[in-house]
Amino acid sequence: MTSQLFRWTILGFIGLATTTIVGCTRWIDVIPSPNSRQESVTQTIPNNDRVPFVMEGFRMMQNGSPRNPSIEIEQRILNTVQETRLFSTLVPLGGNSPSLDEKMVTARMTFDETIDPHSGAAAWKGFVIGASMFLLSPVIELDYGYAAKTSLEIERWDGQVKRYDAQSAGTVHYHLFGATPMMIDELKGQVAEACLMDLMDQLVRDTGFYMASGTPLPESAIRTVTVKARNPLLSPAPLSVVPVSTAPTP
Amino acid sequence: MTAAGTYAADGSPMITVGTQEVGLTAGYLLPHRLTTDHTTKQQGPALMPSWMMTITDPVGEGWNRGQVSIGAEAVYIEFREPVLTHGFGFTPKIKYTFVALDQVRPYVEFAGGPFWTDLAGRIPEESSRFNFVLTSGFGLSWFITPQTSLNVGYRFHHISNAGTRYPNLGLNASLPFGGFSFYF
Repeated sequence: MTSQLFRWTILGFIGLATTTIVGCTRWIDVIPSPNSRQESVTQTIPNNDRVPFVMEGFRMMQNGSPRNPSIEIEQRILNTVQETRLFSTLVPLGGNSPSLDEKMVTARMTFDETIDPHSGAAAWKGFVIGASMFLLSPVIELDYGYAAKTSLEIERWDGQVKRYDAQSAGTVHYHLFGATPMMIDELKGQVAEACLMDLMDQLVRDTGFYMASGTPLPESAIRTVTVKARNPLLSPAPLSVVPVSTAPTP
Repeated sequence: MTAAGTYAADGSPMITVGTQEVGLTAGYLLPHRLTTDHTTKQQGPALMPSWMMTITDPVGEGWNRGQVSIGAEAVYIEFREPVLTHGFGFTPKIKYTFVALDQVRPYVEFAGGPFWTDLAGRIPEESSRFNFVLTSGFGLSWFITPQTSLNVGYRFHHISNAGTRYPNLGLNASLPFGGFSFYF
């Protein structure tokens, strides 16, 4: 009788510990851009060959809809550009640009994020977890997907334009008791990081394009601009699908 | 990359996936005798501490835009009529909160789980002490701060033993309630 009670107590503790540990787990799978390379690129550029980088435009989209640009994201992009040490100074959106007779590059960036919270599946799974008195919480996995696509268009002082694109996607897999608002931030942060790293990698490969000594200023200091109205979006853009990671769990 | 947590920059609540809610609700049980066989006028105060976890971002458009959360609630009822007895229960709970109105958020909820009461056996409707409780209702959360809400609402309350023992007519009641929740 005593040994049976002891056995059941041990089994109970093991069950409780397993439920608690497994039920609180979460992990993030990030799928980098298919074009991203594994090896990092290193280029050197003399200090006097570096030119200012002026952020001229920044557009953000979420699930196909335009939204207000986030200062936080812009700052993060500028920090990432700064880390390349490719440019002498960085001027944020609306900042004071260097004089027109100075060599500089202007940048226009778009940041398109796609959120796939798997709400329908989460609601059903939540119902099943609740109906099981939370016993199934360690085995039922919930997912939250996020993808980011960035494009950076850089115009050199002589009017030449280069465009870089990068994308990344990720999914946070979690069990009910492991959910926290921070995990969404972590997912977005990691996906954006992968995206920006790929973008900067492409930028650094073009170091020669941005060296001040490479190309003289054009004769005329007057820069030409093209002004046109944007076509209104006649129909909402379709929601893109977040790729689901097949990477093994860590 | 966007601000997560329980509040947005403008002070309105921003409840995201993973936001937890703990709450305390109190109410008073008022009997419904739905058939002529029901004679007991069970009534008394009820206390319901709860925990919830938001599991979806807002879904839908317009007035029915809302979020799903699941969790659990403990129920204690002190039956003052027809005889002073007690009831304890534990109910997993699912809730859909309408978020269109921002600081005032209506919700509908459903909960069900085991319920023990010593009232059973002393009344003609119920014979076993082990029962189940099912509740469904609606309420209104008023966010007085981005992380705190006052809640009022109504629940229909049913207690029966799922036919495990007879008689099993079931006890039905209304439960108007009020309380507060804290989000984190």
